[in-house]
Amino acid sequence: MTGPSLDDFVEMPDEVDDETAEQLADQATETQDMTGEVCPYPQVEAKKAIQSLDSGDLLVQETDHVPSTENVPRAVGDDADARVWRSGSGLYRIFLRKR
Amino acid sequence: MVSNVLTALVVGVGLGVFLQKGRFCFVHAFRDFFAFKDSRVTKAVLVATTLTMVFWSIAYALGYYQGFWTPGWGLTGLVGGFIFGVGMTYAGGCASGTLYRAGQGYLHFWLTLAFMGVGYAVFTVLFPTLESAYFEPFTVGEGVTLFEVSPVPAPVLALGVAGLVLLTYATLVGRSATGGAGGADDATGDSTAVRADGGRRTSGLGASTPVVGLRQFVAGTRAYVRGFAEIDDWKAASKRPWDPRTAALGITALAVLWFTQVSIVGVTGPEARWTGYLLQQVGVDVGGFEYWGSVLFQGQGVGLTVDMIMIAAVILGAFVAAVWSGDFSVRVPKRRRVPNAVVGGFMMGAGSRLAPGCNIGNIYSGLAELSVHSFIATVGIVAGVYAMTHWIYRDVGCAI
Repeated sequence: MTGPSLDDFVEMPDEVDDETAEQLADQATETQDMTGEVCPYPQVEAKKAIQSLDSGDLLVQETDHVPSTENVPRAVGDDADARVWRSGSGLYRIFLRKR
Repeated sequence: MVSNVLTALVVGVGLGVFLQKGRFCFVHAFRDFFAFKDSRVTKAVLVATTLTMVFWSIAYALGYYQGFWTPGWGLTGLVGGFIFGVGMTYAGGCASGTLYRAGQGYLHFWLTLAFMGVGYAVFTVLFPTLESAYFEPFTVGEGVTLFEVSPVPAPVLALGVAGLVLLTYATLVGRSATGGAGGADDATGDSTAVRADGGRRTSGLGASTPVVGLRQFVAGTRAYVRGFAEIDDWKAASKRPWDPRTAALGITALAVLWFTQVSIVGVTGPEARWTGYLLQQVGVDVGGFEYWGSVLFQGQGVGLTVDMIMIAAVILGAFVAAVWSGDFSVRVPKRRRVPNAVVGGFMMGAGSRLAPGCNIGNIYSGLAELSVHSFIATVGIVAGVYAMTHWIYRDVGCAI
């Protein structure tokens, strides 16, 4: 890590297609319904959940808050690999696999 | 007047689009920096404010401007700013964030807006008392912008400040890039920078750190510009989230247009006027209240003003952008978050009047016009965000 640099200006989690999203949702160890929630609660809840999971476990957050798709992955940082699914109608799933 | 209304629509809709597409959020800019050292949006805010300052200083020097907003400075900025900062962190959106998310379909932020209105109304009722008990003792000096009192021309001053901002940024980036090589983790990057000279001497790279940072800055900017050349499908690209820097550039351009035609960009002032205007429609004698009648509407009668149209257009612009991106939906808040919208909204409404000014009036426009009041109010707002962030993250901890 080099600390703040302009490279992380646009860092976005990888997006997954509809099919992959369905498969991942079935593998979820824990699912959090974060619809209707705004920052920073999805971040706080994701951090808490990741701390209690085992390595390789998958946490899924369902959210309708656009910024969460970027700042939830940022909040868990190196603790998990993040991927995001966008439904195209304002609903998103954030997949966090604990490292 | 007609051209001003047109300008208001263009600027408002444009701001709504850029705010929504760039997820340009002042709470995120400070909260996530304190909590996770996530500085992406902080940088976007810095870019927008610094660029706006440079362009406004040029417009001012050439005489193409309509006036500054410079309230008297003193402790009011700290007190009101702090209340506003706590409120916006608790509500989950700043004054501008609340507007664009209202357009995106969040009922949470419509509720926040409504309770900001309650805050404005309560403040207005208490205004005669507050004037003698709060504003008079707490105001130290006349409001002023450094553009007007500076012995050097405003653009020179602005470029100097912009240069300092860039140098500070380059030093921080350069220091964490060179100092972090020894295996230190990310979290120590900035704290060593804060420890001032110690880190510089031990690393022996003091002179070169700003250069390293500047190189990164140039490389990052080049990569950003190149990014546009790599877009082959502009329609698909426009639907994806935009780089916050693109939002910063767009907001700057619109702010320059607004500054030359109407005024500085503000949000809560026009909202407080909206509150008065709407109450007038349901039969309240709004003009009879000193704050609405003689301060906000300046004795010219309670009616629609161009800045009111502009901020309403922000909601419209955000709606259009959200529908275009597939990000629009009516979002119903969880019941346990209702207090956030209610209490946070009220604190934002009341705090923005006590400061006076919100994140846009003070952090964005106020810093960009180098208003003395806004430096103090910015400190107050950021302190409020800092305190509230630590409270909200008390279970998981904050980085700084």
